[in-house]
Amino acid sequence: MSEAAYGRLKSKKRSERTANVITLVVVLFFAVLVLFPIWWIFRTSLMTNAEIYRFPPSLLPADWLFSNYEKTLKVFKFWKYLWNTMVIIVPSCLAGTFTATLCGYAFARLRFRGKQLIWALCIGSMLLPAMVTLIPLYIGWTRGLGLHDSYLPLILPYFCGGGAFNIFLIRQFILSIPRELDQAATIDGAGYFRILFSIIMPAIKPAMIVVALFIFIGLWNDLLQQMIYINSSDKYTIALGLTNFRGQLKQEWSLTMAATCLSFAPGVLFYLIGQKYFVEGITMTGMKN
Amino acid sequence: METIGKPLKRRSRIHSSEQRVAYICLIPAFLGLIFLTYAPLVGVLGISLTNWTGLKSPEFVGFDNYVKLFTTDPYIKDSIIATIYFAFLSVAGSMIYSLFIAMLLNRKIPARGFFRAVFYVPFVLPAVAIYVGWSWLYEANFGFFNYLLSEVGLNKILFIADSRYVVPSLSLIAVWLAGNLIVIFLAGLQNVPSVYHEAAEMDGANGWKRFRHITLPCMTPIIFYNLLMSLIANLQVVTPALALTNGGPGNSSRFMTYLMYDQAFVNYKLGYACATTFIIFAILAAFTAVLFKTSNRWIFSEGGDDK
Repeated sequence: MSEAAYGRLKSKKRSERTANVITLVVVLFFAVLVLFPIWWIFRTSLMTNAEIYRFPPSLLPADWLFSNYEKTLKVFKFWKYLWNTMVIIVPSCLAGTFTATLCGYAFARLRFRGKQLIWALCIGSMLLPAMVTLIPLYIGWTRGLGLHDSYLPLILPYFCGGGAFNIFLIRQFILSIPRELDQAATIDGAGYFRILFSIIMPAIKPAMIVVALFIFIGLWNDLLQQMIYINSSDKYTIALGLTNFRGQLKQEWSLTMAATCLSFAPGVLFYLIGQKYFVEGITMTGMKN
Repeated sequence: METIGKPLKRRSRIHSSEQRVAYICLIPAFLGLIFLTYAPLVGVLGISLTNWTGLKSPEFVGFDNYVKLFTTDPYIKDSIIATIYFAFLSVAGSMIYSLFIAMLLNRKIPARGFFRAVFYVPFVLPAVAIYVGWSWLYEANFGFFNYLLSEVGLNKILFIADSRYVVPSLSLIAVWLAGNLIVIFLAGLQNVPSVYHEAAEMDGANGWKRFRHITLPCMTPIIFYNLLMSLIANLQVVTPALALTNGGPGNSSRFMTYLMYDQAFVNYKLGYACATTFIIFAILAAFTAVLFKTSNRWIFSEGGDDK
């Protein structure tokens, strides 16, 4: 390499390093911006009312009043709400993931009459916004089947394939698995279900976890459906409990923020445990199209 | 796509058992498609032609509900405007924000995984808690944003209690929540072949030119996907209205889905609400169709053999 070319490379390296430092500073700035609201909410949850209204506000609570959480828990039945939420989420995630896998397997691997039509109907339903079917479904569940004040209208839909999007995701994932694996198993005398359970399922575990996470996030963020199907306060989920709690305690900001932080906690916890899958899964949805 | 549409010739006994297994596997999908998707869709149309209130049996009223919606309904116009305004701000804001952050994260910086995790955090928090939490930041007297305004000598703003600011304020939360888009964009950026960049750099293309002529074209399929998904999601916005604003102040945040909820579950006008639903559906379908129609004009496909 000539002296001049070496110099050019060196100066390019240097300018690249400067650019990376600037990038890091900008990223750091935005990361602080993103986390700041969460910190502000948390720090409020540990303050006295007088401190909240002090001017100028301080970034840290003077003394960390964890007793606010005790007070909050007396009115905001967090553990009960969390339990109720899990009673909805756990069976939905399990059933949705399992049935989406069954359907995805049929579409990816099996041949049958009417496949094209059924697949088209499935894809078509993906473009149908969820709010369109809300009222007829409500009428069906409550009037048709008499399910008033029940979790079943929230859970049972996940026994039906967990939504076309999840079926689509599983199908795409199965298509990327070499067929030779199934064929080898067929020669060994394995049936279709055997292939599904002992070859396909272990191979698509990441996709199944992702589907479960999507169902989890969907139910976790839902308020509208829980609002229309659940009436009695002892059946409240976190979303309903928090909405109601806020209505009761309009001015008690520290307690409201304590309840908010409590509601944040399970999501953050799940995220820390399953971070790898969250990121992988979201990535997969963008890439598999 | 290779298995779809293959003609089912020479069906042997194995195939008939294959078919049986397939139908068994698809039972959940059949139930879902019939009872949770297409029957309710027909149901919306049917109910929208009645005056059902849920109390007495419904009577057929033809297109009365639609006529009423377009002529005398006091809310629907404001509602459509508020929804499109919200969706526009939220989609534009979150697309620009998330692409920008993803491009920064795509550079060689330390602790990239950590930063990606940080930007994703808002997405895993329950929506209601986010809105309740932000309502404190937006509080009229002691909220953080009003503290900032007073620091720079500006007057206080009521944010979500002011009809002029409520939609932009809620959109800012939607942008803050867009961490999932960042992750998808980042994955897309990592798939842009680096040889393109290297070749362009040798030809002397600067940073902006490389972004404009290499990164952006390669990213168009992912931009389309993110645009479609966030548009559909944001046009259906309802949680902030349910949890915080109740459609107010005035009608400024009476989003379409909230309007439908209000008609059906607060006023029990089921027939009328179904007519509203159908109009919302038509608006959503129109937006989706326009996006798809224009997509082949700006989506770049490598070699054009994607399909």
